[in-house]
Amino acid sequence: MVTGNSHLSMKTITLCAMETRKTGKIDRLETKNPGILQKLMAMGILPGMPITLLRKSPSYLFEVDQTRYAVDREIANHIYVSC
Amino acid sequence: MKLPVICSEKECCCGKKECTPGKGLPKIILIGNPNVGKSSLFNALSGSYTLVSNYPGTSVEITHGKARIGEREYEIIDTPGMYSLLPVSEEERVSQLLLFEEKASVYLHVIDARNLRRMLSFTLQLLEAELPLILVLNMMDEAEERGIEINISELSRSLGIPVIGTVSSEGKGIEELKAAISEFTLENNAQKFRQKMDYGSKIEPYIEAVEGLLEPSEEAEISTGISRRAISLLMHQEDRTAFEYLRRAEKTPGYWDERHEKNSEEIRKLVKAASKISEVPLSYLFTLKRQEHVNGIVEQVMEMPERSENKSSENAGKIRAEDDTGKNGSKIQSINLAFPEKIDSILIHPVLGIPALFLILYFGLYLFVGVFAAGTVVDYLENTVFGGYINPFVTAKFISLVPYPALQDLFVGEYGIFTQAVTYAIALILPIVGAFFLVFSIIEDTGYLPRLGLLLDSMFKKIGLSGRAVIPMVLGFGCSTMATMVTRTLETKRERLIANILLALAIPCSAQLGIILSILSRNPESLLIWSVVILLEFVLIGFLASRVLPGEAPTFILEMPPLRKPKLSNILVKTYSRMHWYFLEVLPLFVLASVLIWIGRLTGLFAFALKIIEYPTVWIGLPPDAADVFLFGFFRRDFGAAGLYGMHDSGLLTGVQLVVAAITLTLFMPCIAQFMMTIKERGFKTALAISGFIFPFAFLTGFIVNTILKALGVSL
Repeated sequence: MVTGNSHLSMKTITLCAMETRKTGKIDRLETKNPGILQKLMAMGILPGMPITLLRKSPSYLFEVDQTRYAVDREIANHIYVSC
Repeated sequence: MKLPVICSEKECCCGKKECTPGKGLPKIILIGNPNVGKSSLFNALSGSYTLVSNYPGTSVEITHGKARIGEREYEIIDTPGMYSLLPVSEEERVSQLLLFEEKASVYLHVIDARNLRRMLSFTLQLLEAELPLILVLNMMDEAEERGIEINISELSRSLGIPVIGTVSSEGKGIEELKAAISEFTLENNAQKFRQKMDYGSKIEPYIEAVEGLLEPSEEAEISTGISRRAISLLMHQEDRTAFEYLRRAEKTPGYWDERHEKNSEEIRKLVKAASKISEVPLSYLFTLKRQEHVNGIVEQVMEMPERSENKSSENAGKIRAEDDTGKNGSKIQSINLAFPEKIDSILIHPVLGIPALFLILYFGLYLFVGVFAAGTVVDYLENTVFGGYINPFVTAKFISLVPYPALQDLFVGEYGIFTQAVTYAIALILPIVGAFFLVFSIIEDTGYLPRLGLLLDSMFKKIGLSGRAVIPMVLGFGCSTMATMVTRTLETKRERLIANILLALAIPCSAQLGIILSILSRNPESLLIWSVVILLEFVLIGFLASRVLPGEAPTFILEMPPLRKPKLSNILVKTYSRMHWYFLEVLPLFVLASVLIWIGRLTGLFAFALKIIEYPTVWIGLPPDAADVFLFGFFRRDFGAAGLYGMHDSGLLTGVQLVVAAITLTLFMPCIAQFMMTIKERGFKTALAISGFIFPFAFLTGFIVNTILKALGVSL
């Protein structure tokens, strides 16, 4: 699923595998933890939304629509992005 | 955080701690995501002040106010931020419960205009709940700055409800909003909203069936402001509050006539069946369906500047800056947007962020609070103003007027209400706490705190906390009691407990910190030893707690508001209302402590307690007289610290003893107010367990430090 080194023009990777300053579209959220899923959705991090990764360190910082979010690696691993 | 509402009109509740102005009037309830300006809108509508800040999750309690709009008076209610009708955190549940229990005549859904796409989904949920709704697009100025255009009348038409654009911090649009509220009547709203969301043919039958089964008989007295369809949807998402409503319905005689038992059983069965036939969690399905609908509306009403979404190598800040120059042809604008971006990237830089933090701590906490407020100002107030003029005058007057030694002792004696409680409160605590809250309000308003959360998240994870916990932790340096209350914004019980333990143990509050800094800063080595020991303790206990306490490791999601230039008026109001809150907590306890000490001294209990505390005091290498300090510390930590100040001034402690005493006192029992708050937030048993741990642990640490310093032959 995680195709970090794939050379296809469209690929689906987790936010962790994304390069900083790239923009993609959120493909899906994959987590078994209903709390995290609900939280992400409620905050507006939803499939179909464009997402730009701004930073990976010290934590993950990204922009969806007009808002920035900081998340940890654990959460970033649940967000799949096609780009 | 619940702070006193400072009323503009004197009549209702001035000075009282619990202020519920406007009870019994028609209600207006404000709902919305965190950090969208609900509190500042509340202030603009009601003319009274609550806290307004630039980080998510400051209002953790419901605030009531009174507003006069047109000819009518209203009770206006501000709720803690919530993202959707389905709560995830505790403070969201507070708001959700309010929506279940209250019936208001108007609900204002406040959203950040920039984020229409993201927040409109919640509007749809509120409309599904059939609440009489007005949509408020706040922060229109920030949206315009980014070149976002919203067709408000079109949005109003497609939602079927009034939509008003505002800039609540500047009072723009407030008159229009008031007019809309006046015009608003329940009928024309509920019926206008015709767009019923359709969640698909597979699930719809279940939703409708549950909705039908929830219908109460006509005589049933149970009532909620929320529609049955919304409750049904919540049940399908396994929401606790919705099921509590069901249980309440079961217990309400006559809710369902005779069909009673069968209905609730049936509902539970339907909900189970629905979740089985869906491949994805129903909350996921519902959210996506709603978002589809939102996207449809947003396409129609909102225009965004062309953003190079697919350009891959550009820095986001740069893109925005370019857009702006392109649009307005103004260079100033582009500098305005690019400059915060640069500061921002320094503040959250994994390497540069740390020195930036230390600079803020050095100037804000050490120089301003520690050296200036706790040193210069306190010195002047205590020794010159109170020590030189006020106290001798009051004491002399009192003694000449009241010839009873016992009463003289109570009011103007060594530990008297006036000479100790009032003097300490005004000369010591007021400048220090005030200075801290001023700095904190500035830092808070710029939006630095979430950035600090981002910066420290991975470090905080090692002590069982997430980056979100920096907010209560930093606030703890101001007032532990206030911070204990704010731990409510943390997501898991485990995180809240760890934060609570660390606040009680290793985070000194500003009053205490200020005094300790000013005593120890005369000798940098002492200050260094004290800082290292406290920091080690913080890390060690956090680390152990995260190992020992059961439960999942915390996760970190935080919204990052833009960096903003703090507004002076806002900072002053905030500092003032925090101090107001603090004083209502602090002064009665000071007075109480004076009275207790007086009783204790009269009856001999005080001497007895001192004798007991003398053992551990001597054990950690301090003179027996220092037991006083710890006994005071039991009433308030800062009170104890102030005692230390006195002993140091009279030269009763050596340098090593001073450090040991400062360390022990910092770790020592939290003040009574913090203890009460812990009981309220965590329960009596937990509060007792935390204290039971801290008591011996503080002395143990003092003992170890004393032994090591002596063994090394350190003299300070």
